[in-house]
Amino acid sequence: MKNVIWSAACTSLLMVGASLSFALQVGDKAPLFEGLSTKGKIRLEDFRGKSHVVLAFYFADFTPT
Amino acid sequence: MQAFQKDLKKFEGLNAQVLGISTDNVDTHKKFSDEYKLQFPLIADESGQIRKLYAPGRITYLIDKNGIIQFIQEGVPRNKDFLKAIERLERKP
Repeated sequence: MKNVIWSAACTSLLMVGASLSFALQVGDKAPLFEGLSTKGKIRLEDFRGKSHVVLAFYFADFTPT
Repeated sequence: MQAFQKDLKKFEGLNAQVLGISTDNVDTHKKFSDEYKLQFPLIADESGQIRKLYAPGRITYLIDKNGIIQFIQEGVPRNKDFLKAIERLERKP
């Protein structure tokens, strides 16, 4: 029984570790993307060496904030 | 997004491009931009593909010129914090 609890504890710790390692953090390379926008096609790479980018994810247009 | 527009000149002055992104399509984004006179691009991530690469929820990233994430803020972004972080980047040699 002890073994079962122990292995369950280890498994859950591993899962927490895995989910944390997927989250982007300061210092990480920003994932490259391209998409259509109100000003045409946007590629993150196009700003490389030119300007910083503030990338703001929000829920939907015409909603508060 | 209206708050970013208010400070857009400050962001531009620090060599930072503001990009808004949601799952709305380009047409809805255009109406929204017209209504609130937003001059920066809004990206239509209709399939949520770009979102999947980053994180769920209301979250804003500052990515430097080299493509490295320098600051992350969850919730409603505070321009002051972003402007300060960008100023620090600009001061770096």
